[in-house]
Amino acid sequence: MIAIQIILVLGFLFLFWRFLSNPGSHQVHAWIKILTFLFTVLAVVAVIFPDTANRLAHAVGVKTGANLLLYVLTLAFIFVVINIYSRGKEDERRRVILVRKIALLEAQLSKKNKK
Amino acid sequence: MNSQATAVIIPVYNEASVVGSMIRLTKKSFKNIICVNDGSTDESSAAIKNAGGVLLEHAINLGAGAATQTGIDYALLDPNNKYFITIDADGQHDIKDAVNMLDYLKKNDLDIVLGSRFLGTVENITGMKKQFLKLAALFSENTSGVKLTDPHVGLRVFNRRFAESLKLTMPGFAHASELVNRIGEGRYRYAELPVHVSYSDYSKAKGQSMLNAINITVDLFHHRISKK
Repeated sequence: MIAIQIILVLGFLFLFWRFLSNPGSHQVHAWIKILTFLFTVLAVVAVIFPDTANRLAHAVGVKTGANLLLYVLTLAFIFVVINIYSRGKEDERRRVILVRKIALLEAQLSKKNKK
Repeated sequence: MNSQATAVIIPVYNEASVVGSMIRLTKKSFKNIICVNDGSTDESSAAIKNAGGVLLEHAINLGAGAATQTGIDYALLDPNNKYFITIDADGQHDIKDAVNMLDYLKKNDLDIVLGSRFLGTVENITGMKKQFLKLAALFSENTSGVKLTDPHVGLRVFNRRFAESLKLTMPGFAHASELVNRIGEGRYRYAELPVHVSYSDYSKAKGQSMLNAINITVDLFHHRISKK
């Protein structure tokens, strides 16, 4: 296996586990910030020195910088999708608690009014 | 008959055409009927009111699991309720089966009795196959701790101890698996009784699609690994 394959496979597995297992934690929020920061730095460097992406790609066994960018974007996209899914689940959990509480309160209230 | 101490919980979602007659039938055997209207967009809540059931309203649709849990929570508020029955709103179950299951639960001092659509239908079976099935059941019993032929049935009877510990968190149809897990976790005394199910055209049209099994599996998987 070439370097990029190992990096990507480990990256996928790490993201899948990390963000599905604990979506709302501080750690995840911190990781989002770290990744955003790294991405910004890389983007700026890549813009100023266009050859960086290519050299980086060659270093990990990828043909061109454009391919590397695609792989990294795929990883980022999956991360975003999983994160949204997890957040949706968390929102659902809260919504369920809220709606059920309203239903129970309403029923108790109307029972009281009848008496 | 001490039907006073029994609460019947019916989760309702868009069943306006059938839920009224279903409640009237149930009333012949049980007095305390709690309907949870799970954000229906039809006239379900009017039908429930007319038929004379206690009505709880989910402001938005949450799913059968959440509706069932809301009904159980409400029933638990009354300390007189000793027994709890969950039953589907579409009239596919026979209320006589529920009465039998309740008697069986009381007589044998069980925590929960589940209906089974598949029990008692295994006839003309060869000795070899029977042994094999026994072995398979034993294996399932050892892994999940609970041996059931029909874990996704809507008709269940349980006591207060089980109701208090239930606390379903899966809002959708995955709650049935959650309930079975709870039986295993708490080492509750359980039994399955054969029940008669008649699928009307209506309930057939509304039945769960096979694709929903995928949703349930993913939900359960996500739930398992996101346990904190």
